Amino acid sequence: MITFLFFSVRRAWQGFWRNALMSIAATATMVLMLLLLAGFFIIQTGLLAGLEFTEQKVEVVAYLEPTATEAQVTALQDSLKAMAEVETVTYISRDVALERFRESMKAQGREDLTQYLDSNPLYASLEVKLIDPSAVRQIGEALRADPVVRNVINIEDLVQRVLTVTNILRTAGTVLLLVVGAIALFIIVNTIRLAVVARAEEIEIMRLVGASDAFIRWPFVFEGAFVGLLGAVVTLAVLAAAADPLSDFMVEFFRVLPLKVGSLTRDLVTLVMGTGVGLGILGSWLSVRTYLIR
Amino acid sequence: MTIAPAPSTVRSLRRRILERGRDQAVPDRAVLVLHDVTKRYPNGKIALRDIDLVIPEGDFVFLVGPSGAGKSTLIKLLIRDEIATRGEVVLDGQDLARLPRRQVPKIRRKIGIIFQDFKLLPTKTVWENVAFALEVTGYPRRLIRPAVDQVLAIVGLSAQAKQTPNQLSGGEQQRTAIARALVHDPRLIIADEPTGNLDPLISWEILQLLLRINELGVTVLMATHNAEVVTALRKRVVALEEGRIIRDEVGGAYHRED
Repeated sequence: MITFLFFSVRRAWQGFWRNALMSIAATATMVLMLLLLAGFFIIQTGLLAGLEFTEQKVEVVAYLEPTATEAQVTALQDSLKAMAEVETVTYISRDVALERFRESMKAQGREDLTQYLDSNPLYASLEVKLIDPSAVRQIGEALRADPVVRNVINIEDLVQRVLTVTNILRTAGTVLLLVVGAIALFIIVNTIRLAVVARAEEIEIMRLVGASDAFIRWPFVFEGAFVGLLGAVVTLAVLAAAADPLSDFMVEFFRVLPLKVGSLTRDLVTLVMGTGVGLGILGSWLSVRTYLIR
Repeated sequence: MTIAPAPSTVRSLRRRILERGRDQAVPDRAVLVLHDVTKRYPNGKIALRDIDLVIPEGDFVFLVGPSGAGKSTLIKLLIRDEIATRGEVVLDGQDLARLPRRQVPKIRRKIGIIFQDFKLLPTKTVWENVAFALEVTGYPRRLIRPAVDQVLAIVGLSAQAKQTPNQLSGGEQQRTAIARALVHDPRLIIADEPTGNLDPLISWEILQLLLRINELGVTVLMATHNAEVVTALRKRVVALEEGRIIRDEVGGAYHRED
């Protein structure tokens, strides 16, 4: 078994170098396809993060009756927190609301008119952040049903529209990634196939001298894996080199978004390595198979 | 490992053949026995009909006949590239039609096959081309060198071991192919038009080599159009025409002699 493994790896290595032109062509195709795939993956990840970011902005604001007692407000807060769709509930008192209003006026450079008023005209409110923005209608109705709630800002329709758009973008991104993945699959498998077909005579001789299927197949499979590995390493090197010049743009982009660069890098390495090696093996396996089934 | 032919198969074959009135004796050790073999291709073309052929150990047989007579199909049956539609093809005691797929490579190692177009790998040297046959069949690595050196000495190519096929003459290329066919120590050498691409003088050289190998005890089956060689050597001649054996005579010529 060890001998066989050693044999296969040695033959794969020889096969790669003795047909250098074909091997390099296959590796180059592999690199281009993996770059394409990785590019779309990065875009898709950014898109998803952007959409998630947008959806997290969804917030239900309920204004409270001035007559509401502290106990009533606390009870409402607690009942909201108990709901699965709710992430946080923040109580904004009348004073805080006034303070915010003044700050926003100041930020806009407008005169603070509230100083001419005898009393605070604003209502206290509850700001409810949602885990799942599609629950906005349900939460809104729950709030309206409560007697201490004066009114709820009606954002259901807006949220619904935003969700429609984000869902379409999400689906489109996924479909696009799948299409690019399929293209990469077919082109890579086909290129490997060409490299194997170019050596049909070698396979024929192996069959004629009595080589078993395993002895014919595994060197090619290892060679395919090697092409995939090399392609993946080159691709990652190119991506790493490109990451620096792009970082100015990227850092700004990612700072805004709730995106973990560490996990993106990990996912990307897994994707590129897995696709490269996986398709290299698959391509070789399928190509050699056509010569063995007889 | 040598597998003796299953006695029952050979005995029953002998009885059947005798009953058919053939005056051909079946020796105790036949390398190859074809009994009542018919090959029909999926497109309906019948390439071989009712072939009965026994080749005893150590025989030298010429297989002759016009193009399309079924010579290639017969050879494909022997190396189990094709399977007989009907009848038995028994090689070294094993019925090829009943041979599990996994056993096919093993039976092929008992056959050395030589082609008109040599089928050498251009990127490998003579030595590597011969060693290749052993490497890809899992032969122990330390035994490869002596085995290859030995067969190269037999075919007289020791001096050319490090050259690649395109540096060799046609005759030398064919001798390389013969060395590769021999390196597994086969029971049977099948030569499919081995002199088809060679000039007459070189053809005789190749023939001399095959005869010498035959003298070493290896059975040789050679398909050829080379009438001069066949007629001169007076070996056993099996003539095919339209898928049937029309003549099988020991000491025969290329054409029928009446």
